[in-house]
Amino acid sequence: MKKINHLYSLTPEWQQQLVQEIKGKLIDDKIIVIPETLGKGHSYFTPVAEGISVLFVDFVLTEPVEINRLKSDEESYIFHFDLSDSVNSIKIDRADYKIGSHKNPGLAIIDNQTESSFKPSVNERTLALRLLVDKKLLNELLETTAVGEFQKQENKLEQKSLYYYDNIDSNSVLLIRSLMDKSVFELSFDSYLKGISLKLLGNFLNRYENLSAKKNDITDTELEAVIKTQDYFLKDLCNPFPTINFLSEMAGMSSTKYKMLFKKHFNDSPKKLFLKEKMILANKLLQSGNYSTLIEIVYELSYTRMNHFHSKYYAVFQRKPSEDFVKKTYRKMSRRAPQVVT
Amino acid sequence: MKIIEHSYCADLSWVKPLARKLKGKIKDNFIIVPEDIQSGTRYFLECEDGIVAYYINVKYYKNLHFVQKNSKNDFIGFYYDLTDGEVRLAANNTICDLGRWKYNLAVIDGTLKTNYQIKSGSHTYALCIFVHKSKLAAFIKDDTVLFSDLQKITDPKKNTIIRYDRISNESFHILNDLRKLKVGGPVFDLHLKATVHMLMSNYLKKIARNRIIIQTVKESDIQNIIAMQMFLIENIEGPFPSISLMAKKVEMSESKFKNLFKKITGLTPNSFFMNNKLALAKELLEDKQLTISQISSRLHYSNNSHFTLNFKEHFGLSPRSFIKQL
Repeated sequence: MKKINHLYSLTPEWQQQLVQEIKGKLIDDKIIVIPETLGKGHSYFTPVAEGISVLFVDFVLTEPVEINRLKSDEESYIFHFDLSDSVNSIKIDRADYKIGSHKNPGLAIIDNQTESSFKPSVNERTLALRLLVDKKLLNELLETTAVGEFQKQENKLEQKSLYYYDNIDSNSVLLIRSLMDKSVFELSFDSYLKGISLKLLGNFLNRYENLSAKKNDITDTELEAVIKTQDYFLKDLCNPFPTINFLSEMAGMSSTKYKMLFKKHFNDSPKKLFLKEKMILANKLLQSGNYSTLIEIVYELSYTRMNHFHSKYYAVFQRKPSEDFVKKTYRKMSRRAPQVVT
Repeated sequence: MKIIEHSYCADLSWVKPLARKLKGKIKDNFIIVPEDIQSGTRYFLECEDGIVAYYINVKYYKNLHFVQKNSKNDFIGFYYDLTDGEVRLAANNTICDLGRWKYNLAVIDGTLKTNYQIKSGSHTYALCIFVHKSKLAAFIKDDTVLFSDLQKITDPKKNTIIRYDRISNESFHILNDLRKLKVGGPVFDLHLKATVHMLMSNYLKKIARNRIIIQTVKESDIQNIIAMQMFLIENIEGPFPSISLMAKKVEMSESKFKNLFKKITGLTPNSFFMNNKLALAKELLEDKQLTISQISSRLHYSNNSHFTLNFKEHFGLSPRSFIKQL
């Protein structure tokens, strides 16, 4: 196996050494054409903005190669996006990571100050995009976007040299794929690649900003249906609880899904919410003074046994119903009666 | 009609006077304009030395007349204007209606004085890019190939260029993506810079392939083709209306219609239609409000697998895996 050593920097100088080693051709300080002894393809490197550079590689190798990236003094992160047809492996600090193809995660973030080696598979198309981002710049960006999640991950993995290992988000995949059918030798490629690079970084930051925010998976129509059922059973609290089966049918979904969505949105199960509301109503009725006996209220609320109501009420208010009960008074009647006489 | 005299240039010195003229103020990178004139966002950003982007997404409540008189003439302005409403741009004795369904790209040299009139009630979404001429020259000289068209731009003797054009479908979607984002903050800045790069790339590609033919085609033909583009977008959820139907609508022969459509938009009617249909499908998937099968039936696909196949062919990713990694 042929071994190639190189190191990265944010400026294009590093390419010279690599070109000499593989005996390739360097065009314009940007494009490296891989010699036919190794395979077919090219890489494209360009600085994008201050602190950001991008390397785009697209090749098919005919010979197994191990590309060693040596330690660099420059403090930067490498974002490795891999969209290759088959699995490639990256070795970082003696740990192997599989990357590329559909099954494996396609994004790895590596520190430029640790060594890694990249082994692309032979006779398959390797398509990868590497963003080099200055550490200071990335930290600034992370601070301003309040990306707690990323930093948590970072801390956890501090001992390991791989900072992050995940799938690429779909929009970024589409962006990188759109590079596939562009020719690197075209005039417009340069600015297109720059644009893509910035977007990828933007997407990455966006994604981690959104991760910390609560995800809302409920669609509007489903939510509407669930709220409708809630309105329905809160309207007549006096009746017994309509079954979950009935409610889920009303919402047009399976009972499991219904319960799940309900709980997600209201933080309580339908039955519990119903009971809570019912007991609040019971409390109102008790204190209204419109009833002369407790049993009237119990029947009003469709309970068949006093004991049952008692225990439910106690569970919510930690008080007995009788303690809150205000008895109906007949004072008004007695006052009216003499008036009739006179 | 309120007349506002202002200037642009490839650095940020034009911002303050413009804000003052609009009776607004500057906060961070926003220009905040009183609500009785317009509502919405105006955002400016210096992308790099010599390239300034100016993002406008506003609704006007007054008829305005912008007069652009530049003190510096060392830049070229690219105005991507997707206005719904009435906008008229007059420069150098030419008058032209701008907007999403009219001309939506104007490339104007900084030496020219322009009049930009907009009617109350119009909703403007525009991105203006001001590029210093030396920067533009560098864009080209970076590469080994020199294009006569671009040389003309940077040639000081012939530098009073003005061009109206229609942006490509691809550029339109790039702009549309930008519109969805929340304005402000470093992430938006990244996206804005990226958009500028990608638009410039598309424009360069267009020049390189000599695709600026729009001024060589008869005015009425352009109008007809744009009308048909509009017709396709309006019926984007339905099946593809046949070529013969559209040709009949604009009173052309089928082959003439097809040729002109391709010439002006760079795409065949069907691929224009499918591109936009799938872009819509992608947007719907991103919204997460509908399931894949709901989307496919909404877009009048006869079955799911046909939709999936189409989607995969276009984006290289199946709808299912697209949703999974959003």
